[in-house]
Amino acid sequence: MPEPLLARSALRAHVAPEIAAPAPGVVLRERTDLTLASVAAFKGREAELADAVRSAYGIELPTTPTRVAAGEVAFVWAGPGKWLATATGPVDFSTLPAAVADQSDGRSVLSVSGERARETLATLIAIDLHPRAFTSGDAALTHAASISVHLWQTDDAPTYEIAVFRSYAATLWRWLVHAGQSRGIDAKL
Amino acid sequence: MRIACPHCGLRGVDEFAYFGDASVTRPAADAAETAFADYVYLRDNPAGAHRELWSHALGCQSWLVVTRDTRSHAIETVEAARDVALARTSEAQS
Repeated sequence: MPEPLLARSALRAHVAPEIAAPAPGVVLRERTDLTLASVAAFKGREAELADAVRSAYGIELPTTPTRVAAGEVAFVWAGPGKWLATATGPVDFSTLPAAVADQSDGRSVLSVSGERARETLATLIAIDLHPRAFTSGDAALTHAASISVHLWQTDDAPTYEIAVFRSYAATLWRWLVHAGQSRGIDAKL
Repeated sequence: MRIACPHCGLRGVDEFAYFGDASVTRPAADAAETAFADYVYLRDNPAGAHRELWSHALGCQSWLVVTRDTRSHAIETVEAARDVALARTSEAQS
């Protein structure tokens, strides 16, 4: 009999929640509802992939560090010819004409939001997150405290989402909680 | 030092890894052993412009060819290594 597969958070067993004052300056959560897949175009077949994504999801594949969302699906630029596809429902990306690998249990996605979110992230991330340089829809591949992160901004609250290799999720969570402690962080799992 | 990745923009050197001289090219398979010895071991050590390979390892993972002045660290150009290699191939064919 096949063993049942359970989706398990990479964090839950390793970190404790941090509850802030009534009005938190920054809110940290784990996104557990996302289906993730890495999508890499086959050599010379970028246009075919772009057409397939357009017709399947109504999304123009970004060729600059940005995130394009439509309905429950979004594509985040992840390097030249590479994307991270995300969906809030059970979407099967494997039919796309590209090298597709499911990452739903390979990456953890943390959401950082609130008026002091930018300043909290600035303690870990060296790139400029000021609205004049980085706004809603922008994405970046960089590192936070030497942990490789894939970062994008979803709204002007501001809300940032950080995709990180699963085994680094707890360490990054602790870094973020530490950075947010003086900024009234509310971190719940 | 900061490197302007053609894909990601200006980033700190902490995101990049250095992989040596970008000007050497692999000799043909039937080339003399001395040509291979040169290719593997011999490097110029210029005081001035140097073309070198970098990888945007903690970013978009792209390979880059950076032209850097070894005396001042001033960076003249940053190109995607893929474009450099493709240009080299098309040059060799024409």
